[in-house]
Amino acid sequence: MGCFGVIRAEGVTKIFGPDPESILPLLKQGKKKEEIQRETGHVVGVNNASFELEPGEVFVIMGLSGSGKSTLIRCINRLIDPTAGKIILKHPERGEEDIAAMDAEGLRHIRTHEMSMVFQHFALFPHRTVLSNVVYGLEIQGRDKKEREELGRKFLAMVGLEGWEDHYPFELSGGMQQRVGLARAVATEGKVLLMDEPFSALDPLIKVQMQNELIKIQQELGRTILFITHDLDEAMRIGDHIAIMDGGEIVQIGNPEEILVNPRTEYVANFVEHADPTGVITASTVALPFKAPHFEPAGEEGGLSYYVRHGYPDIRFGVDNQGCLQKLVVNGEEAALADLDEALARERTGPERRVDTTVQCNEDTILRQVLRGRAFTQLPVIVRDTEQRITGVIDEPELIHGILEKRGYALTEEAASA
Amino acid sequence: MNDLVPVLGGFLSDPFDLIDIPVREWVTEFVNWIVATFREFFRTWISPPVRGTMEAIQWALTSTPPLIFLAVLFIIGWRAASWKVGLFAVIAFAFVGFMGVWYELMITLSLVATAVLFCLLIGVPLGILCSRKDWFYTGMRPVLDIMQTTPPFVYLVPAVMLFSIGNVPGLIATIIFAMPPTIRLTNLGIRQVQTEFIEAATAFGSTPRQILWKVQLPLALPTIMAGLNQTIMLSLSMVVIAAIIGAGGLGLEVYAGLERLNIGQAFVGGIGIVLLAMVLDRITQGLGDKGPASRAKKSE
Ligand SMILES: Nc1ncnc2c1ncn2[C@@H]1O[C@H](COP(=O)(O)OP(=O)(O)OP(=O)(O)O)[C@@H](O)[C@H]1O
Ligand SMILES: [Mg+2]
Repeated sequence: MGCFGVIRAEGVTKIFGPDPESILPLLKQGKKKEEIQRETGHVVGVNNASFELEPGEVFVIMGLSGSGKSTLIRCINRLIDPTAGKIILKHPERGEEDIAAMDAEGLRHIRTHEMSMVFQHFALFPHRTVLSNVVYGLEIQGRDKKEREELGRKFLAMVGLEGWEDHYPFELSGGMQQRVGLARAVATEGKVLLMDEPFSALDPLIKVQMQNELIKIQQELGRTILFITHDLDEAMRIGDHIAIMDGGEIVQIGNPEEILVNPRTEYVANFVEHADPTGVITASTVALPFKAPHFEPAGEEGGLSYYVRHGYPDIRFGVDNQGCLQKLVVNGEEAALADLDEALARERTGPERRVDTTVQCNEDTILRQVLRGRAFTQLPVIVRDTEQRITGVIDEPELIHGILEKRGYALTEEAASA
Repeated sequence: MNDLVPVLGGFLSDPFDLIDIPVREWVTEFVNWIVATFREFFRTWISPPVRGTMEAIQWALTSTPPLIFLAVLFIIGWRAASWKVGLFAVIAFAFVGFMGVWYELMITLSLVATAVLFCLLIGVPLGILCSRKDWFYTGMRPVLDIMQTTPPFVYLVPAVMLFSIGNVPGLIATIIFAMPPTIRLTNLGIRQVQTEFIEAATAFGSTPRQILWKVQLPLALPTIMAGLNQTIMLSLSMVVIAAIIGAGGLGLEVYAGLERLNIGQAFVGGIGIVLLAMVLDRITQGLGDKGPASRAKKSE
């Protein structure tokens, strides 16, 4: 795979109106969208957007209605011509090409072979059968009939629509229609998939189903996806990176956890306020770091150094010289250490919580799983790094803080000291 | 001073006497000029293809045995619309045959078919052009208005002057008179195609030509068919009028009947025309309602 057909946007700007170029200096001066609209009647669709798609990732652009998401994604394949900026396509053979400066012929090549698109309202051709919709891009590529029908059937099967080849789009439900839209887009075997709110028109249940299938297909085919949504949970579920747009500008780019835990502006904070953090925030974020001043030494014994948490002298953590937790002593009795996933697989959690065993999880274990661990045991959950060294401890205060504030202690402290 | 009084009085009582715009003379001179300049051109380049097409269709229709014709008609009506329409068409045509004007019916049908064929050949490309170039459409609109609102009789005079009398001038007048709906509705149908489909086709790398053929025209087809239906009806009405300048068929029955005050003969021709109109209307409407594009529209 390597870095095939991956995209970098540099300062992409789109202004609607009679003389868009004349507005660029105003934007440079830092004038806002509303001001420019009031004073000149021009609408700023996108202002100076820069981002980069890594190979094989799902990059989500999120923002409220009118924030410029559709305009931005349409600039990428030039359904809209950007007023300024570059859209660099990294091509394995031809090197870097600027889509924004490309002529009609070059554009057609990009659209037929490098990137395809899925639309919010499906945009299936109503006069074509399902199969002939799916093969539309292949037809434009000039493949012969037999080959494209073979491929078309393959991709239809991939989205679970075998047997629907000869039906017409209006005979299908919304979810099925968007499956056809997806099959049509992946069938061209372009490396980049542009999706403008593809699931927004679908019922919540169908939506989740489609998200899972998209992830499956994406992993199978190794496509790079630029995905637009205004649904934060959707963004968090499928996005490797999320860019948040406000008034035509990208105000923050980060992975879901960064956005959730560390929103950079008021707008982003409002956006993430109601998000469900349990599937996004990881153990290392909420854990109390296993170091001073939170933990203090409590003697040595049998080659292990013991520590206690400040204010909790009853639980002693015995750590060897590698930094690995070897013994947990609770009220003078040794408690067993189990792996979180194994323990949960072995025993169902019930009303009785264990006091003689605790669980250890990894730094990237999600909060939801840690909560299950806490239902299993009353003792603190231990967080380890990849070399099995203890890096943090999660007890009630950390869980409550993580869920309510969507923040870890470490970050709160940083913010307080800053 | 006193001279002024009668002049003023005359102006007040008839203000239009003062200035005379000689439109009559201008038009006469203009038409004369056109006739003198282009007659040769029209007779050598426009007449032959129209005449040839018409004669071929006429030969095919008149030499087909009526029973075979009726069988084919049934199949066409059935495939295009429904078996009911097929049956209706057969009964209507048979009735005209039993009235004794089968041959005239075939002549009229071949005139209409020729006119409609040329309307499509010229009108659809013009409609496409209108839909793609706004300046062309702007220029075309007054022309279309003139073509449609000019009383049909007015076409006949220059047609006769250019082509003499007979079927061909009648056909030319019919083609001009009946073409506007095809142009208008082709244009409208293409412009009405939703941008999301154009956008999707573009996003998959289609050329403008591919978009036209693969997306716009198929989706505009129901509207174009509605235009075709109107064109057929208009050409049928004009073909009757064209009997005045020597076009044959059912129109001639009506015209000749009226001239000789033979009400019965005129009526037979009239009934034949009405039945033909109904059959053609049902069949083309059926055609327009078929096809996935219009079915998709209905299910919305
Ligand atoms: N063709 C156009 N002409 C003028 N202004 C436009 C045009 N297209 C979009 N805009 C404006 O650009 C801004 C961004 O619109 P855009 O459609 O990109 O928003 P969006 O984030 O996709 O919103 P939504 O979630 O509603 O789809 C809006 O203020 C809109 O009014
Ligand atoms: Mg949008």
